[in-house]
Amino acid sequence: MRIDCPYCGERDAQEFVYRGDASLMRPESEDGMADYVYLRDNLAGPMTEHWYHAQGCRTWIAVTRDTTTHAMLGAIFARDGVR
Amino acid sequence: MKGYCRYFGREATAQPLGFMTHFSILSLARNALSRHSGWQPTWRDAVPKDGYDVIIIGGGGHGLATAYYLAAVHGITNVAVLEKGWIGGGNAGRNTTIIRSNYLLPGNAPFYEWSMKLWEGLEQELNYNAMVSQRGVLNLVHSDAQRDAAARRGNGMRLHGVDAELLDVDGVRKLAPFLDFDQARFPIMGGLHQPRGGTARHDAVVWGFARGASDRGVDIVQNCEVRGFLRDATGTVVGVETSRGLIRAGKVGMAVAGNSSRIAALADLRLPIESHVLQAFVSEGLKPVIPGVITFGAGHFYISQSDKGGLVFGGDIDGYNSYAQRGNLPVVEDVCEGGMAVMPMIGRVRLLRSWGGIMDMSMDGSPIIDRTPIDGLYLNAGWCYGGFKATPASGRCFAHLLATDRAHETAAAYRLDRFRTGHLIDEKGQGAQPNLH
Amino acid sequence: MADLLVEQLSGFGLATIMARKGVSGMAIGMALGVEAPAQPAFCRGENNLALIGTGAGSWFAHTDMVSPAWHTALRDRLAELASVSDQSDGYMLIRLSGEDARTVLQRGAAIDFHPEVFAPGAAATTVIAHIGVVIWRRDDDARGRPKYEIATFRSYFDSFRRWLDHTAAAL
Repeated sequence: MRIDCPYCGERDAQEFVYRGDASLMRPESEDGMADYVYLRDNLAGPMTEHWYHAQGCRTWIAVTRDTTTHAMLGAIFARDGVR
Repeated sequence: MKGYCRYFGREATAQPLGFMTHFSILSLARNALSRHSGWQPTWRDAVPKDGYDVIIIGGGGHGLATAYYLAAVHGITNVAVLEKGWIGGGNAGRNTTIIRSNYLLPGNAPFYEWSMKLWEGLEQELNYNAMVSQRGVLNLVHSDAQRDAAARRGNGMRLHGVDAELLDVDGVRKLAPFLDFDQARFPIMGGLHQPRGGTARHDAVVWGFARGASDRGVDIVQNCEVRGFLRDATGTVVGVETSRGLIRAGKVGMAVAGNSSRIAALADLRLPIESHVLQAFVSEGLKPVIPGVITFGAGHFYISQSDKGGLVFGGDIDGYNSYAQRGNLPVVEDVCEGGMAVMPMIGRVRLLRSWGGIMDMSMDGSPIIDRTPIDGLYLNAGWCYGGFKATPASGRCFAHLLATDRAHETAAAYRLDRFRTGHLIDEKGQGAQPNLH
Repeated sequence: MADLLVEQLSGFGLATIMARKGVSGMAIGMALGVEAPAQPAFCRGENNLALIGTGAGSWFAHTDMVSPAWHTALRDRLAELASVSDQSDGYMLIRLSGEDARTVLQRGAAIDFHPEVFAPGAAATTVIAHIGVVIWRRDDDARGRPKYEIATFRSYFDSFRRWLDHTAAAL
């Protein structure tokens, strides 16, 4: 699995640290906190997720990837898109 | 010849529903003499009826064990197990066959120890050779701190009535003299040994439970994919929509670990679960060399040897969400590095196959056996990468829940709402980060 | 006979530059009189100063001949624009040159070192044998052979050197 880092170019996924679903939004109040921390959509198919390029440019990126095939569908700097 | 006939008469009265062959030395001899042409199918491949008292989604070890115990313990036999593919074709056929009960936390230890006790009597109960082999599970320690942790875990196990031995280096050397004891970076300083742990034959477990359930009237329906839930006006689940039509049910239980979120989503339910891929490996067949199950303490590597001679081993999950049933090379490298660090002799062994299975990684690393907020829908999920050893107790507890609407006492901690209430069961202390459990 | 020259460099200066929020690479380049590349690249300017792109808004400043006031001078010129941290003692630099240098690198790092992709002036932050490295390619030598420089953390240098020795021995 190779990830197309927007800064470094295509790199092996081994250089990255995985954080998970990028669509989760921290709730304003405490009410939604348990859902935010513990519940996941756990999508089968295209999913946008946060990866950290720890052994490259040390930047958080948002990668869209098909979880059923591992096909890469695009990557952007996390700060430019989904949070 | 007289005894022969008497034997068949006895079988007929003991199992009025059954049409399966009872395995015994006599049936083996008889079939050997008839060139093995007389064996009957082990279980009945059923066509779905219009409705059942209970439907279990998922024909893996857990689903079939649930159906078996529903019938055998609770007398509920109007049951169907619906399997998308073929039974035992998912994680039941992709695990590394290890059974053990070396858990520390009170929510886990009694459950897994009960599962171990069920393994110990399983073959007699099912009249099926599941090749349960209590050859011991040895967790190596490589530092003083790890030895302290092992002592704590071992003491915790013994307080729960589980067998545990803290071994010094000589103790480990007696069990596994081939390890790299004096390695500069990760010297072996001892180990925690559970002699009653070991391995069981994964597909025999599936077939044994399938046979036991089928024999008691349970319908095992293959190639039957659940595509939706049938709900009544109050929202109660009253059946399932499948690739083989609508099937009504009094209760529906999910035992689809790996894909729990996908099935739950059909009922608009979000779960505290991420699906991750775990790889496993098997080598070419060798003469007996690994005596039991051995785990490396300074990396993630565990190994045992199958009765066929292949070294069966694995390590960490890949660490990213996946439903792909295959992993990537970095983990292959990591697992092999772990193996080389602890037993350099395996460096010359050729790898035969590797594969991946999809794990229900829960948010605290422990499973869920509970009712859901939706009436009529019950959940057995979140087994992370420890589901195989739990098969009998998981089935037994899920059957108890489905039959009585109450949690079995050994699975009382496996609640779905424990994340919200803070009663987590986090053996590894990693927090809500499923890829680290 | 392999054509590989391995040199352990000394006397160099290395510092990280992290742009403050909202400060562009252009502003940093202007202040230093050398292009601050927006991509992984090695850009050499006047006064023996080079900037190597290591990430979005971050660079290595590099000089072949360091002076005691080198990094404080950098800091003064980038005041209000970027954080500067002297790393001259924190990293070791190795230079690989010769016809076989590319082969050696290709056996360690999972990126493409083909000259069309990794020409003089290219740079990459990646791993070799699990060890973090920053690699850049200088101008070819007089005989047209490639010249790479590799920065590794000082504490990992022995491990890196072990990888290099084994890999070079297998040429």
